[in-house]
Amino acid sequence: MNSDRIAISLDLINRHYQEPNRNRYESKYFWEELYPLISASGFRAIEIPYEPVWQFGGRSGVPMNRYCVNTKYESAANYRAALAKNGIDRVTGVTFEPNLFMRNANLDFYFGASGHFAGEALAHAVDLGADYFAISPSPYYGRVAHHHPDLEAKIATFAERETELLRGLAEKAEKIGVTLVLRNEYWSLFRGERILALLDALPESVKLDIDTASLSIAGVQPSEFIAAHLDRIGCVHLTDTSFVDEYENWKSPNPEFPEHRATQVFCDPGTGAVDLHQIVSLLDQLGYDGPVICSARQTRDPFRALLRTRALLNQLQN
Amino acid sequence: MPNIRYANMCHWKSIPYRKIENFREFYYEDKTNTAYYSDWDNMLKYQSALGFEGIEIAPWDLADILPLFGSPENFSAFAKDRGVEVIGMFHGAHASHAADHFDEAVRSGREAVDTIVKFGGTYMNTCPTQNYYGTGPLSREEVQQCAKVMNEIGRYATDHGVKIGLHNEFFCAINLPNHRELIESTDPKLVHYCIDAAQVAIMGEDLLTFYDDYHDRISTFHLKDTASARQPDSVRYAQDPEITDDGARWFWEPGLGELDLKGLYRLLKEHQFKGWMSIEYDGSPDLLASMALTRYHLDNELRPIYD
Repeated sequence: MNSDRIAISLDLINRHYQEPNRNRYESKYFWEELYPLISASGFRAIEIPYEPVWQFGGRSGVPMNRYCVNTKYESAANYRAALAKNGIDRVTGVTFEPNLFMRNANLDFYFGASGHFAGEALAHAVDLGADYFAISPSPYYGRVAHHHPDLEAKIATFAERETELLRGLAEKAEKIGVTLVLRNEYWSLFRGERILALLDALPESVKLDIDTASLSIAGVQPSEFIAAHLDRIGCVHLTDTSFVDEYENWKSPNPEFPEHRATQVFCDPGTGAVDLHQIVSLLDQLGYDGPVICSARQTRDPFRALLRTRALLNQLQN
Repeated sequence: MPNIRYANMCHWKSIPYRKIENFREFYYEDKTNTAYYSDWDNMLKYQSALGFEGIEIAPWDLADILPLFGSPENFSAFAKDRGVEVIGMFHGAHASHAADHFDEAVRSGREAVDTIVKFGGTYMNTCPTQNYYGTGPLSREEVQQCAKVMNEIGRYATDHGVKIGLHNEFFCAINLPNHRELIESTDPKLVHYCIDAAQVAIMGEDLLTFYDDYHDRISTFHLKDTASARQPDSVRYAQDPEITDDGARWFWEPGLGELDLKGLYRLLKEHQFKGWMSIEYDGSPDLLASMALTRYHLDNELRPIYD
């Protein structure tokens, strides 16, 4: 695999959790200093997590949605030009997860808001020239259960409404030439192999997003899953973990922060237990030529994570 | 019992754990200070150790706090065990100037009051409407509409043991030309005022004159300093001015800006203010350091004037 075409996700910047100096991430200057560093670490493509939260309350320095980009750059085209000036040629993809909208017992609110903002995110992905739009088909299982204690009884209804939402998005995505892919986080209602039933109910244009760490935590061997579903894969996230979910942490309201034992669930790529060498090798053998993205979600140091990830990729054969 | 009790306005971003039981093990995973900023147990202990006995939460904290603790009551009990009480919650009365939004603005305000009551709080500091950009200038009728909403929420709050305090941001659609008009259009028995020392100064009010004029309306303070008083319209009415593009700060810890906080404390003594004062550290890169610096300044510069 030619590691030069692998993208890095901007999810390596902690936007939401407390740590000293976190507030600088809300100013435009931080990101504009970051882009050349991404380029200097050998990445010419990025993935952007679409986050509606930054358009509420005037914190538009975080370039994670259309409102913010338009506020700071007037248009997506200008933003792309600013990225290109700093050595980033492409936005490979845009991701969207709906946890923000699971905040009460009203499923109409959840599906209304998440559908609306997913549509905005998809349109933004087009404006950014992205290849794919990766959507998480559910919020955290535990967050849904907090607001809907009868979740197990409602799962079929939830799945039906989610399928309807995704069909609408799939139709739009196909028309505008972006691949809709389904994320398969370990904390999802559709985690692991459960994602397959959802995928079966959607048009063939909808593909799978392989997240190597999430599959591992859900107890699925990433390499076996990749080999079994190659023709349905729309993108691959090289993520790493050493976490073993002994206490069904995936069902908790805050599953990326295990309540029984504090730990960093996602490690910087190359520092966990997922055999990323083997996975990249397998993708090569199988002739996979779609998007590949490295993600250092939850890193304690984004600049170190960039270099760690590059160090890993340097070990892979070009 | 001192006349002033001190609280912190909660500006922690999401705190993912209630209490980390395996603190040493978690620290050794990466040997960074992440472990020190990841659980409410420690956050509240920092506050308690530095003499901040209250916490004012924000509505954007609820999405994390409620699933983490299960209920407002559980969070309050957890905080109380560590010597901290929830004194209230901030509220943004979005679009309260718009007549066709009256029912929604009142409903949302009442829900926020209900939430505060569950936490055991008694204050709801309320931004009267949204940013100036895209909304202002407000007509006289819109200011009166805003006052009508505040009175209505204030009535419900008062009936439930909560004091609402108008809290004006320097970039709000209620701004220098109509700030006092709004205050004077509300019912003093139902609607109070929370002075955010830096925000009112940046907006263009003289902090000491403003407090002197409205001392009998003041329910609480958000105490913070600024070196940027009296900003022009072009700044206050700009799009999204709160977080600057170049990282310039509007707000500083008490004593690190240019406000006459000693003068304020002399007036507090003159008017015999009694109640909670929340310290705010928005814009600080290190909330714990800010909290400690503030405690030093309070104990050595301000509390000797009036306590």
